[in-house]
Amino acid sequence: MNATAITPDTTGHRDVRENTLAITGWGVVTSLAIGAEEFTTAIGEGRSGLRDVTGMFDEELPEHEAFAMPDFKVRDHLGRKGTSFFDRSTSLGLLGCTLALDDTDLTVTDDNRDRFGIVLGTTAGSIKATSDYSRETLEGDKPFRVNPVLFPNTVMNCAAGQSAIWLGLKGVNATVAGGRLAGLSALRYARNQIRRGYADALLVGSAEEFSPHTAWFSHRQHAAEEGRVKVGEGSAVFVVENAEEVRAQGRTPDAEVLAVEVGTYGAPGREPDAGAGLADCIGRALRRAAVEPSQVRAVATGESGIARLDDIERRGIESALGAEVWRVRASEWVGECQSASGSLQLAALLAGHRGHPELDGAVSVVTSVSPDGGVGAAVLRGWHRARGDHRG
Amino acid sequence: MNRRVVITGLGPVSSIGTGVTAFGRALRAGTSGISAISSFDSSGFPHYMAGEVPDFDPKALLRTLSTSEWGRTSLFAAAAARLAVEDAGIDEKVLAGAAAGSSIGTTSGESQVIEALTAEWVHSGLDRITPAYAAQVPASRLATAVNQELGLTGEAVTLSTACSASNYALGYAYDQIVTGDADYMIAGGADSVCRWAHAGFYRLGALTEKVCSPFDKDRSGILTGEGGAALFLESLESATERGAHIYAEVLGYGLNCDANHMVAPDPVSIAACMRRAHHNAGIAPADVDYICAHGTGTPANDAMEAQAVVEVFGTRPPPISSIKSMLGHTMGAASGFGAIASALALDEGFLPPTTNYRTPDPELPAIDPVPNESRPAQPKVVQNNGFAFGGNNAITILGRVA
Repeated sequence: MNATAITPDTTGHRDVRENTLAITGWGVVTSLAIGAEEFTTAIGEGRSGLRDVTGMFDEELPEHEAFAMPDFKVRDHLGRKGTSFFDRSTSLGLLGCTLALDDTDLTVTDDNRDRFGIVLGTTAGSIKATSDYSRETLEGDKPFRVNPVLFPNTVMNCAAGQSAIWLGLKGVNATVAGGRLAGLSALRYARNQIRRGYADALLVGSAEEFSPHTAWFSHRQHAAEEGRVKVGEGSAVFVVENAEEVRAQGRTPDAEVLAVEVGTYGAPGREPDAGAGLADCIGRALRRAAVEPSQVRAVATGESGIARLDDIERRGIESALGAEVWRVRASEWVGECQSASGSLQLAALLAGHRGHPELDGAVSVVTSVSPDGGVGAAVLRGWHRARGDHRG
Repeated sequence: MNRRVVITGLGPVSSIGTGVTAFGRALRAGTSGISAISSFDSSGFPHYMAGEVPDFDPKALLRTLSTSEWGRTSLFAAAAARLAVEDAGIDEKVLAGAAAGSSIGTTSGESQVIEALTAEWVHSGLDRITPAYAAQVPASRLATAVNQELGLTGEAVTLSTACSASNYALGYAYDQIVTGDADYMIAGGADSVCRWAHAGFYRLGALTEKVCSPFDKDRSGILTGEGGAALFLESLESATERGAHIYAEVLGYGLNCDANHMVAPDPVSIAACMRRAHHNAGIAPADVDYICAHGTGTPANDAMEAQAVVEVFGTRPPPISSIKSMLGHTMGAASGFGAIASALALDEGFLPPTTNYRTPDPELPAIDPVPNESRPAQPKVVQNNGFAFGGNNAITILGRVA
């Protein structure tokens, strides 16, 4: 049985239910599967995306296995033309965007491209592209002999900017550097753009690449954590529109994002306690969504075996939703994907709905916790896909 | 809820001055913040000037954060935020107990941290990198630093839309207060001078040698710069109630994307962004009294920006000056400094100059760049331009509170 206690609303947010966001299509790129259909099947079968990554890079890696895609080449999916200079984060983000557009019944036309935009989350862009660029300036006696063509790959909005060019989307184009909160922060940013009427449709998601850098950064920080989930990479992108308008058009969304709430507390072990903060966020999100804690069927967590972070998440969830609520641990299938993790957690919930009409209307929650004290929660209500593809 | 939003605190940490008084004085005087690079070894580079903040002393400015745990850019953001809150004169406990957060823009986040890690990679190997540096890489820490310095438990969002990021941040903060999601927001941006950006702009042919001279016929590019810019935002009602000094009102903003080229600006798209910002702010072009330019000083940017201005405002546009002539290009902080300069222009009654201006560009006949000396004026509405790699255009509109 779920606990019904909600921590009091201490931040003064008003109890209003605003127009919610509809998700009308989605795309994922992971070592587990590429594309919403394939991802749904793979999750249903309980498969793992863990791969042998030996020899994936020139540099030695700390571990032989990761949730990475050693054979992934963007040109295999999008062609050779125009893709040769893309860094890996850009490739993952752009492919996620194209797959999401393939999966929706909304089409990009000259009539809507000015109000159709992109919001992508990241940790720090392509860390490998940036570090490689930085490295060029440290080697040899001509530190300025860097490749100007690769310079845009060092800015964090490269994936969103290149995706806009590729897809011809001239609306709001934003990059949210949210780290482990990136998926939820991107959704929150998108919600604001749509409710304020600045955009009609947005591709919203987040991407994280696997590289020797990300592998070693993680290893050097967390190697002592015994239950740690191995590092991964991937992207998940959602087509997001105003739910009211989608329904008025007689279309059925895959899900409605009813609320996204975030907060900033102390890093693990410091005040104010992020576990209590997460409980507060979940409670606030449920009130905004006009949903009782007992109605929450599942929580897709970001848990990845780093004890001090998982502890915050567990305490937040138990306090707001009780100890019995079903937890979906997406990282077991797709790995610890940092900024992509929140979006992949959401995708895992959508995969659960996609082929299961009996779950129509069920409410679930996504939670995220960052090592710096950031926490967040989203509430969504999902439906199955009547057809495998909106376009039938 | 549809509240009016005002700016009641300014926090610049810049090469021309730290704190609103010093910054404002330097802005009026046309002071140069450009010096020889000291934050990295620039030997081997043909060009070696930048707008660094060599006297940045985070320990003297910050009260909460342990400075050793944070990268330089996060410290810029937190220090600027601290100054903005002090300038706003709001009780710190009231603020920490309220629905308050931050949105901070950046281009390269903790670039100096990534450079330090890269140096360790080159000299010792990735297996020897310092774990504490790895923990400082996420750019999300910029806004987190602001919230933790001030004890804010609300949202902390870092928007990394390159060189227009502060305008994105200001727009987002404005929306949070308009809608009632937050009662107080700190908006701004931060970036640090770094070696790779210096090299990259040099190789793009966009880096000038010693002097940045926007809109000049002989302009030859940018100088990179750094710093932190923060603005304190609250509702008009809240500011009036507590008797706060109001610098300016945020009237609105506009965002769009060129979707055309990663680095080349698109005047048609920039003009569309201006119209979008005007529409959102409920103003007409004729209402704008001054434009704080993106004005990087590259031949292409200034020509395209001028073309878009003429497209929207006609052949007699309002004065348009570039404070990058003094600060250099502070990247993700640039439009934050632009917003601070715009707020001061509205509040104190002057137009900041474009310094280093010698020769009018016959290709830009409509442009009045407020050459070399600040000008007394009483602007009522100011437009603050921000453009970026990725075609990320962002324009904010500020006004004097009527």
